[in-house]
Order: sequence, then C-alpha cells, then structure tokens
Amino acid sequence: MEIKPILSALSRNKTGALLIALQIALTMTIIVNSVFMIQHRQGQMDRESGINEADTFILSYMGFAEDYNEKTQLIEDLNFIRELPGVVDAVQTNSAPLTGGGWSMSLATETGPDADDVGTAIYFVDDHGVNAFGVNLIAGRNFTADEIIWRERTSTKWPGQGVITKALAADLFEDDWQSALGKTVYISETQPINIVGIIDKMQAPWNGWSGVERTLLVPSYTEFGGARIFIRTEPGERDRLMTEIEEQLVANYKGRLIRRVRSMEEVRTDSYRSHNGMNTILKTLIICLTVVTALGIVGLASFSVNRRKKQIGTRRALGARKLDILRYFMVENFLITTFGVVLGAVMTIGLNMVLVDMLDLPKIDWYYIPAGMAVLWFIGLMAVFGPAKKACQISPALATRSV
Amino acid sequence: MLKMNNIKKVFRTEVVETHALRDFSLNVDEGEFVAVTGPSGSGKTTFLNIAGLLETFTGGEYFLDGVDVKGLNDNQRSKLRNEKIGFIFQSFNLIPDLNLFDNVDVPLRYRAMNAKERKERIENALETVGLANRMKHIPSQLSGGQQQRVAIARALAGSPRFLLADEPTGNLDSEMAESVMSLLEDINQKGTTIIMVTHDPKLALRTPRSIAVKDGLVSEVVRKEAVSEANENVAAFA
Amino acid sequence: MFGYYLRLAMLSIKRNPILSALMVAAIAVGIGASMTTITVNYAMGSNPIPHKSEQLFAVQLDTWDPNQPFREPDTPPDQVTYLDATALMKMAPAAKQTAMTKTFQVIEPQGEDVIPFDALGRAAFGDFFSMFDTPFLYGNGWDRDSDDSLAMVTVLSKETNEKVFGGENSVGKFIRIGGKDYRVVGVLDDWNPIPKFYDVTNGPFNDSEDFYIPFNLVASLELPRSGNTNCWKPSNEDGYQGFLNSECVWIQFWAELPTESEQEEYLNFLNSYATQQKELGRFPRPLNNRINNVMQWMDQQGVVQDGAKVVMWLSIMFLLVCLLNTIGLLLTKFTTKSGEIGLRRALGASKSTLFVQHLIEAGIIGLMGGLLGLFLAMGGLQGIAMLFGNDVKDLVSLDTTMVATAIGLAIVSALLAGLYPTWRACSIQPAVQLKTQ
Repeated sequence: MEIKPILSALSRNKTGALLIALQIALTMTIIVNSVFMIQHRQGQMDRESGINEADTFILSYMGFAEDYNEKTQLIEDLNFIRELPGVVDAVQTNSAPLTGGGWSMSLATETGPDADDVGTAIYFVDDHGVNAFGVNLIAGRNFTADEIIWRERTSTKWPGQGVITKALAADLFEDDWQSALGKTVYISETQPINIVGIIDKMQAPWNGWSGVERTLLVPSYTEFGGARIFIRTEPGERDRLMTEIEEQLVANYKGRLIRRVRSMEEVRTDSYRSHNGMNTILKTLIICLTVVTALGIVGLASFSVNRRKKQIGTRRALGARKLDILRYFMVENFLITTFGVVLGAVMTIGLNMVLVDMLDLPKIDWYYIPAGMAVLWFIGLMAVFGPAKKACQISPALATRSV
Repeated sequence: MLKMNNIKKVFRTEVVETHALRDFSLNVDEGEFVAVTGPSGSGKTTFLNIAGLLETFTGGEYFLDGVDVKGLNDNQRSKLRNEKIGFIFQSFNLIPDLNLFDNVDVPLRYRAMNAKERKERIENALETVGLANRMKHIPSQLSGGQQQRVAIARALAGSPRFLLADEPTGNLDSEMAESVMSLLEDINQKGTTIIMVTHDPKLALRTPRSIAVKDGLVSEVVRKEAVSEANENVAAFA
Repeated sequence: MFGYYLRLAMLSIKRNPILSALMVAAIAVGIGASMTTITVNYAMGSNPIPHKSEQLFAVQLDTWDPNQPFREPDTPPDQVTYLDATALMKMAPAAKQTAMTKTFQVIEPQGEDVIPFDALGRAAFGDFFSMFDTPFLYGNGWDRDSDDSLAMVTVLSKETNEKVFGGENSVGKFIRIGGKDYRVVGVLDDWNPIPKFYDVTNGPFNDSEDFYIPFNLVASLELPRSGNTNCWKPSNEDGYQGFLNSECVWIQFWAELPTESEQEEYLNFLNSYATQQKELGRFPRPLNNRINNVMQWMDQQGVVQDGAKVVMWLSIMFLLVCLLNTIGLLLTKFTTKSGEIGLRRALGASKSTLFVQHLIEAGIIGLMGGLLGLFLAMGGLQGIAMLFGNDVKDLVSLDTTMVATAIGLAIVSALLAGLYPTWRACSIQPAVQLKTQ
C-alpha cells in the first residue's frame, strides 16, 4: 500500500489532520462514555421490582376528621376493596417498590450494638401482602391473620415474624439463603424476628440504594394517621378500578383524604424519570455529536480535495485510476481516524476514571473501547466517501491548466 | 506512433458551441521530436489534452501506438497514460507535500512494480536530470529549473515511449530553458518520441519538425529546413 | 472602517452559503447544548440569598454512631436531634436562630363545597422569617412569646391564602389545620428560594411550604411529621416522648451570625456543649461540630448533582468538538480566499487590518451561531422540563445573565476558533499567492 507517501504528505499538513483526529478522539470519548452510562442506567431500569406492576395501583390516604377511627376505618376500607368485582387483592402498606420513600432498619444475626448488621427495607403488610404484591413465596409460609399486630406511629416494638427476600437471606447468612428459613434475626439490636418465609424478589422503595434487593415484610397494620393501600386487579380492570375505588372510598367516608392514586406503571415512570431524562439527554448529545463530527470530516475533506485539485489532476494525468484516487483519500482518512481513535481510547478510559470517581459508575468494560473505535472508523470512512468520490471526478486535464 | 484523423472537439455551454478542434489530423512517427505552436486559443492545449488522453474528443479517430483510443474507458485510458505517456507541464505540477523521490515515485505507484525496481528507476531518472543528490528535498526548496527537471525525471521514470511537454520552459528564464531544452533533446536522441507544445517560435525552430495550430486546424506543417530558409530570406531582405 | 469590514464579512458569508450555514449550525448546536446544561447547573448552584449568605449558618453536631461517621469522610449529620435543638434554642449565643422541621397535615377550608386538601407545613421559630428575609404580603411572623407560650398561630403562603381565603387579607382569621384552629398572623408574598437552602435534606429543589407554625407545637401536639429521619441507635422508651429523647436526627438548625467573633463564640459554645454532653454518655464520636454558611452548606451537601455536572462537562466537550469543527471550516473558507487576501496585501492592506477584517467575519458567524444557539438552549430547557417534570421546573429558565453568557460564549468561541485560520490566511506571502494561485 501507498502508506508511506500518504504519511509524509500528512506530516506536511498537520493542522487539518490534527483537527479531524482531535474531533474524532473527543467524539469517541464522549460517545463511548455516554453509551456506557446509558447502558448502565438502562441496566438499572431493567431490573425487575419483583412485584406485579401491570395490574396494580397504589393510593395514599390520610385521616383528618375528629371522628376518624383508623382501626375500624382501615378494616372497613380493606374489606370493601377486596370484595369489589375485578379486585384480586388489596393490602395496607407503608410503601411499595419504586415509590422512593419508605422505612429501613438494620438486621443482625446476633444481638447487641456491635453485631454486624445488614440494612433492609421494611414493608408493613398483613396476610394479603404476598398475594396483593404478586410476589413468589419460594420457601416457608405466609403470615397468618392472627400474627398481624397494630403498630402506632412511635412504637418501637416489632412483631416476632418476618418474610424476607432471597437476596436479604443470602446477605444475612453468608450466601446460603435456604438456611435462613426458621432462623431468628434481631432488629433494633435486641428484638427477635423469626424468618417464617422467603420470597423470590421484592425491591426496596429506593431504586438508587445499593441494597435495593433487601426487603423484610413484617405482619403489621399501621396506625400512623395515614398510609397506603396497594391494590391488585384482574388483568384489564386496573384503570376502571382506579377511578372507581377512589370515588367509592370518598363516597363511603369523607373524613379521610384519598390522594395520589397511581398505577405502578406510573410509579415506575416517575421513579426512573431522571434516569430516563439523563439517557434522553445523552442520546441527543450522541446524535448531535455524530452529525457534527461527520459534517466536520466532510467539510475538511472537501477542503482538502479542493486544495489538492491540481495534484489530483496531475496524478490522474500520470496514470492514476479513479479507484486509486478514491483509495488515496480513504486510506488517508483511515490513518487520521486511526490516530484519532487511539488517542480517543486513552481519553475514553481517562474520562471513565473521572466518572467512576464522581458517579460511582463501574469501570468501563473493555469491549466498549474496540467497539467505539470501530464505530468511529466507520463514521470517518462514511463521511470521507462523498468528498473522495468528488475527488475521483476531477478531470486529468486539470493538470495542463495553468490556473 | 500517434495518428489522428479528423479529430473534432466541441465545448458546449448553454448558449455557445465552441469548436476547439475541427478536422484535426496529424501523424507522428516513432522517435520524432515535434513542436506544436500556435497563438493563445488556437486549440493547442486541447490537442495536447486529447493526445495525452486527458480529455475525450467529439469526433474523428485517434490511434496511439496502434491502439484505438476511442473505445477505451476511464481505467483503460489511465493505464495507457501511465505506461506509454510521460507528461511535462508548464507549471511542473510537482506535489508540494512530497519529496523528490516520492514525487518521481507517483506514476510508478500506479504500476505493479516492486519496491526495488521502483527505487532503481527513480534514482536513475533523478540521475539523468542531475538531481540524484537532492532526493529528500521538497519541491519548494528547488529553483524553477530544478523543479522542471524533477518533472522530467518523473516523466522518464516510467520509461514511456512518448513524452508530451506543455510549454516546458514557459515558466523559466532563458538559461534554465536552454538546459531543459537540451535535456529533452538528449532524451529524444535515446529514442523517446516527444511532442512539445509551445508558443515560442525559437524553441519550435530547434525541433526537427514543427506544426502550427490555428483555429482548431493544423494550418501548416512546416519542416524545419523550410522555416529556416524562410527566416534567412527575411533576414536577407532586412 | 468597521462598517466596511462588516460589509465585506456579510459578502463573504453570503458567498459560501453552505459553508457559512455549517459553521453557524456547528456553533449553534454547541452553544445550545452547553448553555442548556450550564443553565441547569447555574440554577442549582446559584446563591439563593446573596445579601445574607455569609451570615446564615447551618449547624452540625456530631452525635452519631461511634463506629462509623454519618457520611464519609467524617461528616457530621445534616440534621440535629430534638434534645440538642431545644438545648441550643435555649442556650446558644446567637441573636437569631431557629430549629425547624416539616409537618404534613390536612387543611379544611370553611364552607360546604370546599374540599379539604393536604398541605406541607414548616414548624419553625419566630426568627425564621427575619433570618431568611421572607417577604410579607399581610401581617408579620410571630414573636418569641408565641414560641414560648405555644400560641396557635400560623403564617400562610400566598397560594394557601388564595385557596382558603380567596387572596384577601386573612390576618386575624382562623384556619383549620390538622383538625385544630390556628390564628393567621401573616401571609407571605411569593417566596421560593432556589435552591431551598434552609432544608436541602428534604429536597433542595422542592417548593417552599404551604404554611408555617411554631416549632414547639410539634412536640406538644405530637404533630404528624414529614421529612427525613435518621437514627443510629434504637430509642430507649416507647411513644412520642421516646422519639423526642432519641438519638434520631430530624431537625434543621440555622443561626444568624453576622460577625466573625460571633461565629467563633458560637462554635466554641457548640464544642463546650458537646463536651458536657459527653459526660452524660452522649456524643460518642470525637468532637466534630461545624457551622457552614449558605454556600459552604450547599457545597457540602452536594446540591449541584454530580450527574448534572457530568452532563455539563460532556456538553462543554461537545462545544469543543463544534469549535474544532468551526476551525476546520474557517480554515477551508479562508484558504479559498487566499487569492483575495494576497491581492489585498499587494494593494497595501497591512497584515493587521486583514486580521481584523477576518476576525470580524468570524465574530459575526459567532454572533449568529450564538443567537441561534440561544433558541436551541430554550428548546433544550423546555425538553429538560418535559423530561424531568416538576423537580426541575425552577431550574430551566434563562435569565439575562445566562442570555448574555450564551452570546458572549458564542462570540468568544467563534473568535478563538477564528484566530488560527485568520492568522494562517494572513501570513500568506502576497507575491507567492499572486504568482501561483
């Protein structure tokens, strides 16, 4: 190949080449890191919450009237909802996956303030919780109706039973989740909880928490003045029931406020709104960047073709075929791009190191680098193809023209 | 070697048709050194472009070394140019980014030729024009005469049968022009056919044969002897 | 002469419309992207109370777990316990200070057809209003006597006053909040500092509250609270009192300390208070109490999110790519003009006049790119508002500073980008240019 003379020609025209190479390097740095961030976020968004999200919704209520009796009203409401046609089940809960607000505590396998503990999310549910959330019990049993206790807002007492997720079981018992069943763990340093059941998966309410897979269900109704009701319907009945239940509850009793009736799909969208937003911004950036860089290469390559019209004509006069001219520009661009992507690879890793530091991102997977290089090579060659094609059309007769 | 019969070349724009060549016929034999003269706009550049296969023509026939040029596609004509024709341009047309060695290398690159042979040829060609010791220089470091000698070396490196020179001394002062001219004469002596386009009558006088182009036609074919006689006559009357 | 250069520049821009359009577009896209993200970051990091930000201090007491800090590296909790809040309110040497927390209650307007609605309130001390310079539409805040005597008084936001009283002067009237009647003593005008510096713990870009009530009522009425609560150790007793006496942190604490000596005195007090408490078995960590003024506090609390910072730097890198692009395109353009430049040089133009002429051309391209970029930035901000919803609605407006910044950035960028190509074009030797073309 004619690499050596192309290189020596390039070395006498560093500016244009350097401009393109730098653009390519920067573009690669931004694109590869953006794609990596997008993938990372997408990976988080793709995690399953473990509950049924398709046919479920959640509402908040808050009592305010003088005559509001939370104990009787809640049971009345739950019974009313559970009997509605189209409702599969309903449960009072303090929170749900993806909602972003909830309760967390530490669990330990021993008592005392210095025991190694594991943080977990807590959902207060009754014996309908497993069915309403649509989670899979993979070992042990569900709560029984007589295990449910009433919990006041400032109580520090915990019931003696708990159902935990597989992930929490594994974290508590050195990766041997099956051994957790029937064991006792301690909450609030001293209070024992017997693990009666293990569920496959149910996320904590905070999607950004590193322990998001750790969840403990405890058998309690809460008497906090207000809480949430989580409702699961037959497929296709959710939207109808969302309006109906809200209207009916208000009609049944006006001394409590029903608010924020949201399907779990909405909750998920809200929960990952900023993830989604960031990804959209990054995608837009990638597209703009690709277009700008490609146009830049087209512009500079056209410039370089224009500047070298005479020598292209001369080469043609001296016997170069159109293909030779095309190849010359493609090879030249390939060399510049190669320099760019090698520089880009270094810069990409550099930026990733900064991002790892700032955003708690993992280190970039190695294959992103060659993939990014390949993409940029491709963009470079595509962009230069037009101007190179134009260069082929330059007439060899240009060589004899004196201007 | 070169045979043109009734070549026509018409340039068309939206409104005007310009006949750059009309019924242009010429025969050049192997080993000849022919000067083509004519005023600006007479069609001599068009003739050169057609002779060098840089342009196509509108009508007539052209045989180069027995090959009918008319039916050739772009690639075939490139190949023919590359192997049979050497070009020398008025403005040298060296590639400014390449050193002398690489410049002379350009036409050889378009032939299947191994590196060793290319090197040999380049060195010989530069030797011939007396610039073998400046191979690593770039064109802008040379004088005009030297640049033209590089261009000649480039034309020679491919050992073409046929050299086309377009005002080879046009951008040079008389001393340099003389050295370039004698170089061309040496080359011709060794058997290369040369056609040189020039508007300089003095140069035309030095070649064994010269033709004049006027209004797209070969208006006269003059033998050198005849011209010199005519000139002598003029001198006698003066 | 400037007019002449301007005309030349316009001519030159028109001569290569596609190339010029490409350059303007490149600058516009780059400016649009970077201004969008810079605006968001600027709003996140802006000073919400410039005239007092050096006098207001967030108080941090390290009451946390002896085994691990509240947050790495060795940062004390961002809120204080009830025990410490009441102690500081009684004893700490500040002219003005306030403990505060959020409460979540239902407001029941009078009248048959009006529906009750839930509202967020801030329980604070009377100093809150003068410390944070809240603008009053009607009336005033409450005084210290009201704090001490557990007076049932409230200050409403403008919006709440409109909802409940139709916007009229409601001072002296009663409003039912959480089943209890409060007397309105003041109504605020629009007040929504961005960021909400006085409570970044519960969302630095949340709206300000719907009503304000005396802090001491929280404990005496056991009001339902809203907002972040963190505990490192279980409380010893049950019930609301147990919660109040626990080591849980849930109260924001601010002091107004105008002079350095006051600040020093205050910090000394905190340390001696902590030392005393150590004797009672509290404050198990080494002394690590802090006061931070507004901007220090926002910095420590990471109000400008790292994600936003990263996107901003990415978009600035993008602008850089656009500028490299412009440099390339300008090089192209000016090189095609080298004949004209050579001619002008030959006709007596000095290098510097040509330099100015071409920089003006670059400047005009920058100006056009900047203006277009401004529109793109407005579109971009709209897009961000759509993507992120309510959380960012206060972060996405361009003020005059940002408009000026955008145009300035565009022109400076274009001039910088134009510098090298101009210099190259002008260093052409006129003779060489005229001879060979």
